[in-house]
Amino acid sequence: MEIRPILSALLRNKTGPILVAMQVALSLAILANALYIVNERRAVIARPSGLADEHSTFYVRARNLDTDGHEQRRATFKHEADLLRAVPGVASVAQVSQMPLSQSGWNTSITVDQRQERPSTSASMYLSADSIVHTFGLRLVEGRDFLPAERVELDRKDQAEPPPQIILTRALAEKLWPGVSAIGKSVYFGKQEVARAPQVIGVVEHLQTQSAQIDETGEFSIVMPLQQYGDSSTMFAVRTEPGQRDRVMKEAESVLRKSSATPMILEMRTVDQDRKDRYRGDVALQWMLVTVSLLMLLITCCGIVGMASLWVTQRRKQIGVRRALGARKIDILRYFIVENVMITSGGVFGGVALGLALNQLLVSKLEMARLPAGYLAGGALLFWLIGVIAAYGPAWKAASISPATATRSV
Amino acid sequence: MFGYYFTLGLRSLRRNRALTALMVLTLAVGVAASISTLTILHAMSGDPIPEKSRRLLVPHLDNGQVDGWAPGEKPDDVQMTYQDAVNLLKSGQGERRTVLFGTEMPLEPPRKDMPAFSSAGMAPTRDFFAMFNVRFLHGQPWTEADDARGADVVVLGRAMAEKLFGDANPVGRQIRLMNVPFTVAGVVDYWNPRPRYYKLIGGDTFGGADDFYIPFASAIRHEAGINGGMNCTTKREPGFAGLLASECTWLQFWFETRSSADRADLQSWLDRYAGEQRKLGRLKRNVPTHLYDVMEWMEELKIVGNDNKLSVWLAFGFLALCLVNTIGLLLAKFSVRASEIGVRRALGASRREIFSQFLIETGVIGLAGGLLGLALSFGALALIGMQSTEVAAMARMDWEMLGMTFVLSVAAALLAGLLPTWRACQVTPAIQLKSQ
Repeated sequence: MEIRPILSALLRNKTGPILVAMQVALSLAILANALYIVNERRAVIARPSGLADEHSTFYVRARNLDTDGHEQRRATFKHEADLLRAVPGVASVAQVSQMPLSQSGWNTSITVDQRQERPSTSASMYLSADSIVHTFGLRLVEGRDFLPAERVELDRKDQAEPPPQIILTRALAEKLWPGVSAIGKSVYFGKQEVARAPQVIGVVEHLQTQSAQIDETGEFSIVMPLQQYGDSSTMFAVRTEPGQRDRVMKEAESVLRKSSATPMILEMRTVDQDRKDRYRGDVALQWMLVTVSLLMLLITCCGIVGMASLWVTQRRKQIGVRRALGARKIDILRYFIVENVMITSGGVFGGVALGLALNQLLVSKLEMARLPAGYLAGGALLFWLIGVIAAYGPAWKAASISPATATRSV
Repeated sequence: MFGYYFTLGLRSLRRNRALTALMVLTLAVGVAASISTLTILHAMSGDPIPEKSRRLLVPHLDNGQVDGWAPGEKPDDVQMTYQDAVNLLKSGQGERRTVLFGTEMPLEPPRKDMPAFSSAGMAPTRDFFAMFNVRFLHGQPWTEADDARGADVVVLGRAMAEKLFGDANPVGRQIRLMNVPFTVAGVVDYWNPRPRYYKLIGGDTFGGADDFYIPFASAIRHEAGINGGMNCTTKREPGFAGLLASECTWLQFWFETRSSADRADLQSWLDRYAGEQRKLGRLKRNVPTHLYDVMEWMEELKIVGNDNKLSVWLAFGFLALCLVNTIGLLLAKFSVRASEIGVRRALGASRREIFSQFLIETGVIGLAGGLLGLALSFGALALIGMQSTEVAAMARMDWEMLGMTFVLSVAAALLAGLLPTWRACQVTPAIQLKSQ
């Protein structure tokens, strides 16, 4: 193999090769980290919200400009829910306190033992006297949904006691009681004295919080069969038959407006809109990283091709002499490709080190996750391939130099 | 000589066109990526009120529970309780002071053809307008008497005023908020600082302008809906009165001092206040009180997200790659001009002369890259702005960033040109002349 002469030729003129290797190293380091972040964000966006059919789910916030008392308002909202249920194409309706991914709602701290000093964790609270298990289409993995008799409606002016039964998500159950069934276990909200601690009667597979945080707490939700009435506004979650959402939304709006003698404010949003808003920043970051990565690959390719072409032009005479002394085309081709692979290899090793260093910086300064080795290995392979492909053109040009013309002026 | 070398540099752009175009393009792409991400960071983290940002101070009193708390831990919330806010308002400390919270309520327009809608605004005190340099288009802020008795007066944002009343001056007219008639006291001219530093918690930090402002006391009296974050660590009695008496934190307080030197006085007054409250059995954590000026406050609340920083870092990494690439291209471009350098050196030009000639030439390339980079940055910012109106408001270039584009581009080109230029200076005239 002719590695030794190639190496000593490289060492005689270091600047160009170092520049190419630096480009490869920089691109590899940034590319591996960028692709990892892109994939990480993709996984974050792909997490299930728990809703069985997000595309068919929307919600209405209805506010009546009335001066009614609490009981009257309670009756109005019951009536409005019935009107919504009667709209053709509606599969399920529930009065709810908040929606997943909507970025607005309430959290509570949870303890599993009243004597413990610190709360176990904080969880998002879904309150509803209807079945949100049914309306959201949540999948129960253990236990059962609330019975009608367990559902409580409370006047807002009264002190709200936690209901005796609650449902929570599997992620939260696993956090509070690792490895054991949560059914029948008691939880406490804060340090307040309660007559009866709520008991877990059901566990659902998924239900994201209103913020859908990227860590495990994004799945820490509890459902309570409790509703407080008296406010002038309420929220209804509606699941429609597949494909009927947009029509149902229009009809629901007109039905609700017609039902009220006083002016009414209706705000309607789909879960799809909320999802888009929630992940807008992540999607934008992905686009930015992919664009920069592609540009980087392009520029690095240009750099390799440019430098290789320059070396071929500079060494025309030497190539001519080698050809005249008996070197075949394949020898010249091989020389340039091996030379480039050597340079790229130097860059790849530098890039792996630089990529790890960059990741370390991202971990310590920007709270990013640690880069799996696979990304660097994949990136290294990619750049070796690019090195060979990019060098092939100039190397072929070098191999095609005819010895007669190249050595004419020697 | 500078002018002459500059013209030479311009002419040289036409030599090796492919190579030159590639160089300019590489520089431009690198600069555009850096500038567009930097513009957004700059807009997010810039000082929103430079003339008094050091005199506007947010007080913080930690009223969290002692149970389950370890000294040194961060507070649960940096907002304020109603009782503290009222005490601080009465204190007379600082030049001006205000408390505020975001509120959302039904608004019934005076025009019968326009249906009622939900509207979002602020409930501050009168000083708010003077403290944050809010300019009035019509009318003026409500009076201190209005603050004291919680009068039903409203100051409208300009966009909302135009939506409700057209171009007419609405001062003195009425609108209905929360089923109650409010009299318009004034209209604020377009005012929408971003980030909305005066209320950073529990709201759209980069959102649109407020629809209206009503006196804090009036909002409390009508039990206006709270639009923002609230943190309760202890049990509270039901109803709005229960909230006011509770240790729930949900209000934003601001002091304005006469000079930034008065901050120490305010700090010691706040410490004394916290001490008194402790005697009453409150603020059990017994941690020092805090004052944050505007920039410290934005830092504390991490207004610039990690994703924004990440974008800028990666963009500059990309620029570094473009630089290395340009060094290679410049080496190639200068290497074919060895004979020209040989002739100049032989005719008496010093190495210094050659150095400045080639460096100025790279400067010209940098300028060209800056021009193209500027165009690309505008394109990139327009693309980024398509995400949403909030982002679009951030993705706007100002004069500072415009200048920055050229500085960055020329600096990058000069940096890239150093090594090739130095190489060019090393050309020995004798060898070059011999081979001609």
